[in-house]
Amino acid sequence: MLKAKNVIPKQRLIVFTIVVVISFITLIGRFFQIQVYQHNTYQTKAEANRIKAVMRNAPRGLIIDRNGKILVDNYPTYVLSCIPIEIEDKDALIKLISKLTGLDSLFLRQNYSKYYRNRFSPTRLAKDLSFQHISVLEEHKSELHGIQITQFPERYYPTQISGTHFLGYVNEVNQNIRGKISDKKQYELGDLIGWHGLEKEYESELRGDKGVKYIEVDAFGREVGNVDEYKDIPPNPGNNLKLTIDAKLQLLLEGLMSTYQGVAIVSNPKNGDILSYVSSPSHAPDLFTGSVSSETWSNILNNPGRPLVDRVSSGLYPPGSTLKMITALSLLDKKLIDPKWATTCTGSYFYGDRTFRCWNENGHGEVDLRKAIAQSCNVYFYKVVQRLTLTEWSETCKQFGFGKKTGIDLPMEKTGVIPTSDYMNARYGRWGWSKGVMLNVAIGQGDVLVTPLQMLHYINQIATHGNANLLHLVHKKPEEPSRRPVFSSKTWKRIERYLTAVVYDNKGTGKAANPNIKNVIISGKTGTAENPHGEPHAWFVGYGKKENDIVSVAILIENGGHGGETAAPIAREAFRSHFNNSALNIETSNSDY
Amino acid sequence: MFFNANNKISELSYKIPAIVIILTAIGLFSLYSVSQHQGGDFFHSAFSKQLIFVIPSIIGFLLIFFIPRHIIHNYSYVLYVFAVIGVAIPYLGSHIAGTYRWINIGGIGFQPSEFAKWILILALARYLSDHNIEMRRITSVVIPFGIALIPTAIVLKQPDLGSAVIMIVPVMTMLYWAGSRPFHLFILVAPLLSVLTAFHTIPFTIWAFILAIVIFFSRPRLLFGVSLFFTNIFLGLLWPVIWNSLRSYQQNRILTLFKPDLDPLGAAYQIIQSKTAIGSGGFIGKGWGMGTQTHLKFLPVQESDFILSVIGEELGFISIMVIFLCFAYIILKILKMAYDSNDRYFSLVLVGVSTILLSHVFVNSAMTVGLIPVKGLPLPFISAGGSFLVSCYMMIGLILNIGDTSRS
Repeated sequence: MLKAKNVIPKQRLIVFTIVVVISFITLIGRFFQIQVYQHNTYQTKAEANRIKAVMRNAPRGLIIDRNGKILVDNYPTYVLSCIPIEIEDKDALIKLISKLTGLDSLFLRQNYSKYYRNRFSPTRLAKDLSFQHISVLEEHKSELHGIQITQFPERYYPTQISGTHFLGYVNEVNQNIRGKISDKKQYELGDLIGWHGLEKEYESELRGDKGVKYIEVDAFGREVGNVDEYKDIPPNPGNNLKLTIDAKLQLLLEGLMSTYQGVAIVSNPKNGDILSYVSSPSHAPDLFTGSVSSETWSNILNNPGRPLVDRVSSGLYPPGSTLKMITALSLLDKKLIDPKWATTCTGSYFYGDRTFRCWNENGHGEVDLRKAIAQSCNVYFYKVVQRLTLTEWSETCKQFGFGKKTGIDLPMEKTGVIPTSDYMNARYGRWGWSKGVMLNVAIGQGDVLVTPLQMLHYINQIATHGNANLLHLVHKKPEEPSRRPVFSSKTWKRIERYLTAVVYDNKGTGKAANPNIKNVIISGKTGTAENPHGEPHAWFVGYGKKENDIVSVAILIENGGHGGETAAPIAREAFRSHFNNSALNIETSNSDY
Repeated sequence: MFFNANNKISELSYKIPAIVIILTAIGLFSLYSVSQHQGGDFFHSAFSKQLIFVIPSIIGFLLIFFIPRHIIHNYSYVLYVFAVIGVAIPYLGSHIAGTYRWINIGGIGFQPSEFAKWILILALARYLSDHNIEMRRITSVVIPFGIALIPTAIVLKQPDLGSAVIMIVPVMTMLYWAGSRPFHLFILVAPLLSVLTAFHTIPFTIWAFILAIVIFFSRPRLLFGVSLFFTNIFLGLLWPVIWNSLRSYQQNRILTLFKPDLDPLGAAYQIIQSKTAIGSGGFIGKGWGMGTQTHLKFLPVQESDFILSVIGEELGFISIMVIFLCFAYIILKILKMAYDSNDRYFSLVLVGVSTILLSHVFVNSAMTVGLIPVKGLPLPFISAGGSFLVSCYMMIGLILNIGDTSRS
């Protein structure tokens, strides 16, 4: 069956046999040389001169604000650990340590099992040792065989700002976390790893690379001295992270927001630098450092304000009237509206089988586009929005970046919801919705949900006539968004004039946002967003211009009532602080990438 | 072609299986020692895992041993296609330990490249036995290299230089066995050596001399010989220029193939510690479980690549000798079977398998004593590693199945 009769010349078998024999003679010869001939040399080496490579931690990079102020620093703490194999009686040792330092022996024992990897690796018993602890342990060193005290850099927050929602925090690597890390070489149990916020997003930058130190140890693994044969590899410290945050402004806004639940964010629309990033309520940034008492922890978890949630990038809210510029821009662009055209607002509007209300129950009287924006008239928008299709409207929303992530350099961001006809069909069925939804979305209600960060990007695009760049927290070259809103310069300028009227008109809803500083022009829009959780949410989005300097804000006060009354005054303080300090702040740091 | 299981067993040479069992036992014995100090759960230790993998290994052995041989012959190319797909599949999954070597099936990592090693041999043997007449032409040398290069390139990209080497070396031995001119094999390997030696003047000069001498004594046509020589020299001279024009990340990509990346502590450190372990073991060793180098964790990757260092330290030169004699016996026995076989296809498969075994044993052992740079290749039957153990047992099943030619 199998064809090809096999005839192999004997010569080939001989060649192969010779190769095999030579290979094994080489190996056996080499092993003989090392094991028998040079045995004594290696014996001495193994007995007396054991070289052990020890990993050295690299200090994590610092996080600094735009003016070089340190926001997150490293602080040396002292860690008590033991080498299991060197301990004769673990229970007695723990009892003695507990007696000397007053540390709970149960706590020490728990740590021992938590950090234990093998008999030869240092196993952590306690950290954050006080100087009393260290001195008493040093005094009794002769009785405490097998323990060591080492320095460990802990995260430390030198300023008064919280900033925890963007700074994030680090976590200690435990067995569970380590199992999931792909690059295990860089993480030992008890090391720090970025767990949230910028600490997580920029982990590879901040972390640095571990170094190796070669030490000589005796037959029991005890340190004897240093080694000259191998060069130590020094740890490579992590890179510092320079943020666009202005610590001073951040502190101010955190203070102003402390009595509210909500968001206050400030940015430079031109390059996308975020100057302030406040989500309130917040918690101390060092909450996750060291041990948290269960009382503090349950307070945080049970706080109805949910301080752990970052409202800026992952809070979803109806935008209310602040979204009206989308409708206005779409209509102007498609020439579906004459800005001079006026209609009468009686306080309500009847469409289909229901009544749509204006916030001003007495009505605004004769309303044109300027007045509709300045005084935030809903009825005007109920009427004009009917000239648009849902697709046209949602398309404009998407140009402004709604319905997708803003691309901020943080790990968790939500996309929000911009209803399209596909969305509505999927949610309510093909015949389950009608043109009436346009009346709701026109004033930023209904199914529309946005994050405050998206609102900031939106107002930035208006402030720069569509030239704003992506929002970011770490100082870097501005990045272009994937889509930009495109309108004629005339249209942009018209909307801008109307937004200025919001702040400067006698009956403008945003008057409270005006800081009254010479040469500074403020434009903006208020919003009062109805929601199922009680009082409406108060919004203010806007920007201030002084020659070339522009700064934008987005303020949200949950259940704060009218935007003009609660949100706008906070914006005013942000403008005031910025323009009174602007000569120092913005001009200097715009250029140095 | 009558198939009878009883016949098969009665004619089976018991010597090779017995030796394989001895080697596996030595491996488990040493892994038990290593596992003692690794901490954690005993059932997840290298020893327990290896012990569990003995079962699929024996099943694999029996499976291959009892498959009628003509089926192996008929399906050589089909298996080859599956093997190529197999080594490519890990790219669809995620990085494991920085490589694409593994397929995860129900929590158990599975390394297709281990099986591809001997499946490739089947395909090569099939090609060479079907095209045996024109063996002295250079084209018959080029196609087998092509067959081998497809899986080799994929494995190289994983990156797994060790396995790639194991895939390419059998092509050489099988071609020689099939009757290719050694000169043709030399021509194919020459450019690689030209490139590798091009970084330093002295090796390159020596290489140029060897090249000239080999070409002179092989007496090819003058024009061919001269152009062959200068093409190689030119390639060697050009290589540093090409190298420098590469971007640094491209250079790094090539360098990582050759750079030992097993441990951040550095390869020199590994070799020193391995040699110290072996050397301090002496003639009879320090005793089982008594190796200080092993147990104080000076020895890196001791359960797989450096298991021989553990054996050297704890069980001494005498045990190393036993292991080498066992391997030498198996390999020479397979060669003898290949020579005696009156079927060309089976003969070539046997040569291929013996090459795989010899390469593994030589590269792994030579690495532990610093004869060659660190390469991540395990020692057959002894190193921890489930896929490799199963694959080795299947190879033994294969050679016992086709090796005994008295029945055909």
